[in-house]
Amino acid sequence: MNPETSKMLQRRVSELGSLPVMPSILQSLGTCLSASPGDMNIDRIVELISYDKSLAAQCLRVANSAMFTRRTEVESIRQAVLALGIQRVRDIVYSCSLPKLFSGAQNGMAHATFWRHALGTALVSQNLAQRLKVADIEKLYLAGLLCDIGILVNSLLYPEEFKRVLAQAEASETPLCEVEQEILGFTHCESGRVLADIWKLPPDISEAIEFHHHPIGHQEGLEMTCVVYLADLLCRLRGLGYGYYEAREFDLAAEAPWEVLKKKHPDTAAGLDMARFTIELDQYGVEVQKMVDSIFSNGSGPH
Amino acid sequence: MSTNTVVVPNQGATDADLADPALLKLRDLIYSISGIFHAENKFYLLALRSRRRMKELGSNTFADYFERLTARANRDVEMRNLLNEITIGETYFFRGQPTIDAVSKIIFPKIVALPGKQAVKRVRVWSAGCSTGEESYTLSILFLEQIAPKFKDWKLEIVATDLNDDSLVKCREGLYAEYSVRNLSPQMRDKYFTQEGKSYRIKDVVRAPIKFDRLNLQDQTKMLFMKGFDLVFCANVLIYFDSAAKKRTVEHFYNGLVPGGHFFLGECETLFGIYDQFRLVHFPGSTGYYKPLPGEDAGGKK
Repeated sequence: MNPETSKMLQRRVSELGSLPVMPSILQSLGTCLSASPGDMNIDRIVELISYDKSLAAQCLRVANSAMFTRRTEVESIRQAVLALGIQRVRDIVYSCSLPKLFSGAQNGMAHATFWRHALGTALVSQNLAQRLKVADIEKLYLAGLLCDIGILVNSLLYPEEFKRVLAQAEASETPLCEVEQEILGFTHCESGRVLADIWKLPPDISEAIEFHHHPIGHQEGLEMTCVVYLADLLCRLRGLGYGYYEAREFDLAAEAPWEVLKKKHPDTAAGLDMARFTIELDQYGVEVQKMVDSIFSNGSGPH
Repeated sequence: MSTNTVVVPNQGATDADLADPALLKLRDLIYSISGIFHAENKFYLLALRSRRRMKELGSNTFADYFERLTARANRDVEMRNLLNEITIGETYFFRGQPTIDAVSKIIFPKIVALPGKQAVKRVRVWSAGCSTGEESYTLSILFLEQIAPKFKDWKLEIVATDLNDDSLVKCREGLYAEYSVRNLSPQMRDKYFTQEGKSYRIKDVVRAPIKFDRLNLQDQTKMLFMKGFDLVFCANVLIYFDSAAKKRTVEHFYNGLVPGGHFFLGECETLFGIYDQFRLVHFPGSTGYYKPLPGEDAGGKK
C-alpha cells in the first residue's frame, strides 16, 4: 500500500476513536473451528457458543429451521452443533458476530447486501479451492468472507463520501474500486488492510484483503488471493454482488489470477468446467439467502 | 442466480424425490448427453418433468427410469421425449432477462464501437432454431428501444431459421397469446403490438428487420453460407444432436460469426467438452461465448 494512504487512513482511524475490535470469542472459536477433523474439540466449541446468548439462540433457530427436516426439536447447543455440522456452525458464528460489529455503519451498502456478498464469496472461494485442490481451504473461507470488509470500514470512516461512491458506481454501472479510487483516492482493499492489521489477522488473509482486486506482484498468499479474486468476481456476476448492475464482460480464462492457478494446478484447472461451475453457483444463492434472511429477521439480527 | 428473496418452493416434487441419488445420476446423464445442467436449486424442475414422463411409461422410481434411459432398446426415443419435456413451452417475449440485459447494455454498444463497423452501420443477428419467433422479435424490440435512438442510421438485420415449417408459419403470422407477452409493460405492448381479441399481433416496424427461413442445421452446404454475424443465438437445439453433430454445428456458428462476435446457448447449456475455439465469457447473470478478434487469441482479452 502507498505509505501516504496508509498514514492518512490511520490518522482518520485515530481521529474517530477506533474501529470495531475483533471479539475474543470469535478468535477462540475461529481457532477451534479451523482445527483438522482429528483435533476438533466439540466440547470446547459448544462451551464457547453457550457463552454468547444470541449466538446460541441463532444456532438453535437455524438447526430447527425449515432448512433441516427433522422429527424432533433440537434443544441443546450440543445437539444443534451436531445437527448443523461444523461448517454450518462456522458460517453462523461469523455471520452472526461480524455484522454486529458494524451495525454503526449507516448510509453505506445495505447490510443484507454486503453480507450476502461476503458469505457468497466465502463459500465460492472454498468450493473453487476444493475443485482446484488448493491447500488451506478453511483459511480461504475466512479470506473470502472478509475480503470486502473495507467497504464497511469506508462507510464508518468516510460516511458522506462513501455514500457518493455507491451512488456513482450504481449510476454508472462501474466496479466499486474504480469509483472509490476516483472519489476517495483509495479503495476498500486498502482500508480493509488497515482493519486486518488492527485485528492482527494472519498475514496471508490480510494480503488477500489488500490485493483481492489486483493480485499480481506479491508472493506470500498469492494463491489464496487469486482464488478470492475469482470468487468475488463470480459472485458479483451471479446475483451475489454489491446490489447493482455492473455492465461488464469477463473472460475469466484471460484473467491473470486464473493463469496463476492454472500454472500451479494444471490438471484440476483443465478439468474444471467453468460454465457448469457458474450454473452450480446459483444454488449458493439460495443457501446464502436463507442464511442472511435468518440473521436479519425478527430482531435477533445484528441491529 | 436470482436476486429476489423468495425461496422457490418444491412445487410438488417431494423431499424424498429431491434426495434420491438416482436423480443425481439422471442429472449427470442429461448433462453428458445434452449439455443442459440442473443446479440443485433446479432439481424440483428436473424431478417434476421426469415424473411426467415416468407417469406416461408407468415407471415408479428414478432408478427404474434411469435404467430405461440407459439400458433399454428404445432409450434414444425416451431421452428425446425427456428433453422435449425439459425444454418445452418455455418461450415468451423477453425471456432470460440477464442475457437480454447483456445484449442491450454491453454487447450492442460494443458492436457499435468496433472500428470496422463504422462504414456499414449494421448489426447482424442469427437466431438458429427460432421456434415461434419470440426471441427474434424481442431482439428487434430491444434494438428499437435501446440502440436506434442513441445510434442514428444503424440498422439491425435478423436471420431467424428453423427446421419446423409450422413454427415458421407462426413466426410470420406474428400473433401471440397473452401468456407470451406477459413480461411486457402495457406501454411496450401497445407500442409494438396491435391487440386482436385476446391476442396480440406484432407491428410491422418490429417485423421489418427479420427474415424467417427454413434451415436444417445439419445441411452442411447451406450452413457454409451463413456468414457475417455479430451475434448468434441457439437455445436448446444442440441437445438433440450427438456429439459429432454438436461439434460440427458449433463450428459453423463460429465460422459464421465475425471476429469479436458473440454466441449464446440456452440458459443451462454449456459447450464444455464440445468445442474449444470459443472463449467462455461471463455477463451479470448469464454466460456466453466470444470469438476473439485477431491478436486477442494468445493474450488476455480486456
